[in-house]
Amino acid sequence: MARDVLIDLQHITKVFPPDTVALSDVSVSFESGEIHALVGENGAGKSTLMKVFYGLERRDAGDIFFRGAKVEFRTPREAISAGIGMVHQEILLIPEYTVWQNIVLGAEPVRAFGTIDAHKAREAVRQKIEEFQFNLEPDALVGDISVAARQKVEILKLLYRNVSVLVLDEPTAVLTPQEIPQLFSELARLRDKEHTIIFISHRLDEVLTLSDRVTVMRRGKVVGTSAASELTKEDLARQMVGREVLFTSRRQPQEPGEIVFGARGLNCSDTEHRARLHDATVEVRAGEIVGVAGVEGNGQFELVNAIMGLTPMTSGTLEVKGKDITHADILTRRMLIAFVPQDRGKMGASVAASILEDAIMTHHILDPRFRTWRGLGLDYRHAAELVDQIRDQFTVSMGHSSDPFSSLSGGNQQKVILGRELLLETPFVLMDQPTRGLDVGSIEYVHQLLLDLRSRKRAVLLVSADLDELFMVADRIVVMCQGEVVADLATDATSHEEVGYYMLGGKEAAHAETGS
Amino acid sequence: MNVLFGLVSAMLVGATPILLAAIGGTFTFYAGIFNIAMEGMMLVGAFCAVLGSFFLHSWFLGILCAVAGALIMAVIFVLFAVRLHTDEFLTGIALNLFAVGLTTFLLRDIFHVKGAFTNAGIRAIPAVKLPLIDGIPFLGRLLSGYNAIIYVAVLVTVLSAFVIFRTRFGLRLRGAGYNAACLDSSGVPASTIRIWSLIVCAVCCGLAGAYLSLGSVRLFAENMSAGRGWISLAAVILVSGNPWGIAIISLLFGFFDGLTVFLQGSRIPTQFTAMIPYVATLVSLYLYSVRKRRQA
Amino acid sequence: MRKQALSGILGVLAAFAIGALVIALQGFNPVETYGALLQYSLFSGSGFTATVTRAVPLILTGLSASIAFASGPVNLGQPGQLVMGALGATLVGLFVHLPSVFLVPLCILASLLGGALWSGLAALLKRAFAMDEFIVTLMLNFIADYFALWVITYPLFDPSAMTPMTKPISAAAWLPDVGGVNTSVLFMVLAAVVCWLIMSRGRSGYEWRMTGQNSLFARIGGCKVDANYVRVMLVTGALAGLAGGLMIMGGPHRFVKGLGANYAWDGIMIAVVASNGISGTFLYGLLFSALQQGAIGMELVTAVPSEFIDVLQAVIVLVVVAGRVSLNMVFDRLATRRKLKESAG
Repeated sequence: MARDVLIDLQHITKVFPPDTVALSDVSVSFESGEIHALVGENGAGKSTLMKVFYGLERRDAGDIFFRGAKVEFRTPREAISAGIGMVHQEILLIPEYTVWQNIVLGAEPVRAFGTIDAHKAREAVRQKIEEFQFNLEPDALVGDISVAARQKVEILKLLYRNVSVLVLDEPTAVLTPQEIPQLFSELARLRDKEHTIIFISHRLDEVLTLSDRVTVMRRGKVVGTSAASELTKEDLARQMVGREVLFTSRRQPQEPGEIVFGARGLNCSDTEHRARLHDATVEVRAGEIVGVAGVEGNGQFELVNAIMGLTPMTSGTLEVKGKDITHADILTRRMLIAFVPQDRGKMGASVAASILEDAIMTHHILDPRFRTWRGLGLDYRHAAELVDQIRDQFTVSMGHSSDPFSSLSGGNQQKVILGRELLLETPFVLMDQPTRGLDVGSIEYVHQLLLDLRSRKRAVLLVSADLDELFMVADRIVVMCQGEVVADLATDATSHEEVGYYMLGGKEAAHAETGS
Repeated sequence: MNVLFGLVSAMLVGATPILLAAIGGTFTFYAGIFNIAMEGMMLVGAFCAVLGSFFLHSWFLGILCAVAGALIMAVIFVLFAVRLHTDEFLTGIALNLFAVGLTTFLLRDIFHVKGAFTNAGIRAIPAVKLPLIDGIPFLGRLLSGYNAIIYVAVLVTVLSAFVIFRTRFGLRLRGAGYNAACLDSSGVPASTIRIWSLIVCAVCCGLAGAYLSLGSVRLFAENMSAGRGWISLAAVILVSGNPWGIAIISLLFGFFDGLTVFLQGSRIPTQFTAMIPYVATLVSLYLYSVRKRRQA
Repeated sequence: MRKQALSGILGVLAAFAIGALVIALQGFNPVETYGALLQYSLFSGSGFTATVTRAVPLILTGLSASIAFASGPVNLGQPGQLVMGALGATLVGLFVHLPSVFLVPLCILASLLGGALWSGLAALLKRAFAMDEFIVTLMLNFIADYFALWVITYPLFDPSAMTPMTKPISAAAWLPDVGGVNTSVLFMVLAAVVCWLIMSRGRSGYEWRMTGQNSLFARIGGCKVDANYVRVMLVTGALAGLAGGLMIMGGPHRFVKGLGANYAWDGIMIAVVASNGISGTFLYGLLFSALQQGAIGMELVTAVPSEFIDVLQAVIVLVVVAGRVSLNMVFDRLATRRKLKESAG
């Protein structure tokens, strides 16, 4: 079936100062009425390419053609008026506003003096909801609805503006396995209505299921474009990474030792007295990796915060190696727990500091090597030795230890943080999404690191949104839903589907929540 | 009875500059700007008001000059904080210092005095008698006869509540504060909204400044704003920007300000009565935190 | 670090250029004006020593603001803390009768305590009632001002004086001049050195800096963020208080109305333009002191009002702050261009 070329990107180049070439001479074309997947590992340039196209980033070289004419979208607004809409990976909505307010924002129907015609807005939104058969309530607050529903609001926001091209950036990253087929059928329906869909992903199964054609990118360059029917998952992976990629687990069977970490009956509530953690119980043994799975926002973050002592618990106990840390201050916990947080920039390091300063945190209190002047001074020279140790042991690619932390790539930043935490030599290690936003090489490295920790009998609790990752490294998978631990499964005895089932509430999976 | 009217009058006089500046601050607050330059804008407004009124022989032109002066300050803020992305806090501090230095210098340079400038040639903003209401025996005295700017302040408060909560601009304004990236991707540049909010803030602060120097008195004194910009900032933070809440808080502060004047005749040393507005701010902050803790 | 120095120098020069424009527009001669400025502040013996002496409160309040801003707490209370420190030194100087070797340290201690008390009050209100120290310290400035005014008008008033002021403090607490420079400079330099040691070599300085950059990170790292907060507030309050005390002991030897009026806000300005660096604060403190000292002479010679310096100072701050950001943007754009050439070639 011959289709017209709708979008033609030619020789696009984009540099992020000072040193990163995000896109190098990239040329891709998209046909009208197709679902086209843009695939590559993190950092390959797929998001950047679409952001350049959409007007969110400026390109440094190259041309863009839309419907045969040369265009330049300087702002997303121009792209939208040309009929192109993009749904980002992080859902950009205003939780304080209702569904209809979010949808009409920027294109509001107005009466005299700029007053918003709320009635007209609601009606228009309701009409669109029916037209595309989404399941949304216009007056619901976006902050109250599910993540999958919020994604639909984002899509509807663009359809309200009559876009014919939809670009979706990693849309399945925030969905459970059960919610994905529904999204796919909606996208297929849109394609049948003559919409064009470009979707960015690194999840190879989905890409092959949904798309008509696939373009693979690697390190800022296009590797190739083919029809999905002609490719296998292995082909794709090889093109993405440039070598053979293993999809099987490398976990050696191992008998776990004694219980190192125990969280029992944790209860936590937030400022509005809503239960964020309800009777949560998790145990981790020496030489064991326990994964925590769950849709984001179901208590994982609260669990991590409670363990670290960042938020108080109303009841429950915590212990590490037999020592009760339920009421201990953060420093005491740090002597026993290494912590790799979810958000590098917000919790794991100070982006404005130097590599050295970020590397010695906590060591500066616990390690007597760094004390001078009767504990008042900090021995920066010895501290530099720690940085060297991290660099060598964790193969960090860096300049001088006094360079700014921000000069490191994401993967190297994470390595410094891992190095700092793991060199504390604590019995228990807590990691929250340690591979988020990293390139495949770094992800592999972290997985290998986790397995090493396991064979050296440390106890690891790994919170992750990536089920593939959990199945690859974890011995057991614990599922959280609505602040409760609803399942504790042995990895070898369960499946993606079973985990997904529990992520959605187990027996309540059939319950029709708004938007799902 | 006279005492009551006197107190109400003093309360409104004290409340008005804070109310105006705080309403301006509300706009920038909702837009997500950390704007601490209200003190400087007010001061520049007060100076330009006197400048305009004296040289152009008109209080109305004086008000226009006040707004123009405050707008120039806003332009500088926009240039720095919005276009160049300098830190909003630093820019605000720098602007306030600039305002003090500039007005002190110009006071010396243009009017050739130090400390304060007052002259019969300065036209003050007149009081206004409301046509029908003035006749009513009790209410008339209570509601009519105040300085024009006080009525303008009331109007501004009502208008801002309308604009912020009912209009398209208001939806986008609050959107810029809640999630600027979302607004950008909706096709409305958040920076444009922020610039508008600064313009509105400048107009309000200009009016506040004009009231300070041309309202009940007819002079400009060095550092005349005396911390009222900071107090209005406190008001904005306390109320989280809601215009009606701002009105109530401003009246409260106005009350304390008026009390200061009131108590000057008494035996309490003037230095302590002068402290009242600032202590009142501290007390308000305390009550606010108590309220927050009770909610938790 | 080098980028900082570059943007600083460029900024100052640019501000001087703008100032020259303003002067010329007024009908004065910029060269003559700046010449007189330099002459009276740096190039004459008495000018130079006066500049150095005047720098004491500027640098001390600058250090106070710098350390506070770099560590997290928004302490804008230097004006009030200076006043309270001055009061403390005055009280001890008036009522305690001891020989110099004891009285001088005691007065200094009193000034440190006075300043720390005032900033400590703000810290207490923050810790106990979550009252934002930003506004609290600002309000306390005004309260301190009026309180001091009351003290020197009533309880400690000198009956033989025409305007509100206290009696002179005991001569044993006076800090003498040596070679034209007041010995208070010694205490200022000592304080600056201690600050430098703490911030760049001390464990506390490291924790404070990290807390100021990312308090969550510091907290997770095991730093006692709350205790550090109080320590920073107390230390910075003490610094500002010291400025006040030294002004009394080295200057008029009594608390006069309007003492230290603008020095403290200048200190904040210096911290802003120095980007909270210790050595930057020191240098900019000297620069601003030179500007202020030279202003008086400048007015004598060229009739440009000395208040012009207020404008020049503020312009310097604005230009340096903007320049810093612009310089970064320029560097980034240069780096982009270089990288593009590399990848194309």
